[in-house]
Amino acid sequence: MNIFELLTKIPRRIIFLTIFVAIAVPLIIPIGMPVNVMPKSEQVYRAVDSLGPQSRPILISCDFDPQSMPELYPMLVALLRHCFARDIKVILMALWPQGPGMAELALSEVPPEFNKEYGRDYAFLGYKFGVTAVLLGMGESMRGVFPLDYYGTPLDSIEILDDVRSYDGLSLVITLSTGDPGWRQWLLFAQSRYAVRLGVGVTAVIAADVYPYVETGQVIGLLAGMKGASEYEIMVQQGGYSEGIRRAAHGMDAQSLGHLLIMVFIVLGNIGYFVIRRKK
Amino acid sequence: MNLSPDPWVWLAAFLTLCIFSFLYRDNIFYQFAEHLFVGISAGYLIAITYHNQIYPNLVVPLFFEGQIIYVIPLAFGLLYFTRFIPRIGFLVRLPIAFLLGWGSGVAIPAYFQRDILRQTQGTLLTADKFATWDSGLWAIVILIGVVCTLIYFFFSKERKGILKPAANLGIIFLMLGFGASFGYTVMSRISLLIGRVQFLLGPWLGVIRY
Repeated sequence: MNIFELLTKIPRRIIFLTIFVAIAVPLIIPIGMPVNVMPKSEQVYRAVDSLGPQSRPILISCDFDPQSMPELYPMLVALLRHCFARDIKVILMALWPQGPGMAELALSEVPPEFNKEYGRDYAFLGYKFGVTAVLLGMGESMRGVFPLDYYGTPLDSIEILDDVRSYDGLSLVITLSTGDPGWRQWLLFAQSRYAVRLGVGVTAVIAADVYPYVETGQVIGLLAGMKGASEYEIMVQQGGYSEGIRRAAHGMDAQSLGHLLIMVFIVLGNIGYFVIRRKK
Repeated sequence: MNLSPDPWVWLAAFLTLCIFSFLYRDNIFYQFAEHLFVGISAGYLIAITYHNQIYPNLVVPLFFEGQIIYVIPLAFGLLYFTRFIPRIGFLVRLPIAFLLGWGSGVAIPAYFQRDILRQTQGTLLTADKFATWDSGLWAIVILIGVVCTLIYFFFSKERKGILKPAANLGIIFLMLGFGASFGYTVMSRISLLIGRVQFLLGPWLGVIRY
């Protein structure tokens, strides 16, 4: 086997090992590669930043599971830090059964950093099955869909929900979504039907699908994958809102090196392929 | 190195390594973790659906608040279980028909609004698109891309004359779209690996601050 044949048949375990090393090393020894903030991420930040203590609450829907945690959980934490630093009231909910676990984890971490109190500064509605009925129902009556919050408290007993009867009581909805149900349904039922202002944070694998809706203004902005999360973390830090751990930003060196390595493998494989084909 | 004293972190690390062991080859550790995940997911789904949905939205209003009207959705939902009794199994069609009819009724106009009306509107060249030179340029590129891609999928006329280069341009736009999607997919998968490596090096081994 000559060198060109070898390039087309690199053992997959060698590739796995190389990628693991390329990712682990920059996590241990950070390089500090710059992260540029993209306009679509900035649009989400500006929408949140334009709100304040007197604004109606923001609803964040945790439509993801632990598998998407590296991309979407840092977004959730950065969004909560941004909101709490600006004294914006936050309501959380989930369309995925694993979403409550993600939301509770973030709520155990972020509110204590800002001395925020449950019921006064934030609330957690929990998970509901049946996305169509849930999203349409919330447009008519929030209490009809969520009679109790996640901890079994009637919504009428929760201070920040006093004026939240439907989407009209919200200033902004942000869905952190890893698939269906998620951003598509929020766009379909909440935005198209009730003209909700909708921001979207998604895993990178579905980011390309969201772009057309950002272009038309149906979605106010887009956070795409770990890169989008790191951009938001950096904007929150540069805004002077939080110095907390920036998980996504720490991962961007590894992300860049991982991409570089995959590009190298693609180029090497193609060189081998074309040289062998020419010889034949 | 500062190893975690938390047994749950050790369990999570063990299960992560069990799943990664599949990269070498299929083995009993991978199968154990996979089956554990499936079993726990099913149990978790049932528990959380009861506590977040059935209890607050059905049990409380029907049995604690005495709202008798909730008997109707309860009965309708129970019809799904008639599937297990062949003699009255046909009754399952009632809730399915209701869901199909209601679902189509609410979804079709919304799909039109989301994907056809607003997207067509967004593709049109209007004065506000030319507020800056770059937004105007991109609006023209989007219009050309949409038209050429639609021509590529127009099969009722032979591709000759202007249709041929337009359809070929449509293919280029499609390939660019596929390339962007593939790039984002690679980015997503690398992110997932980063998340796990961050966990192994951070909370478990204590090599990095996390």
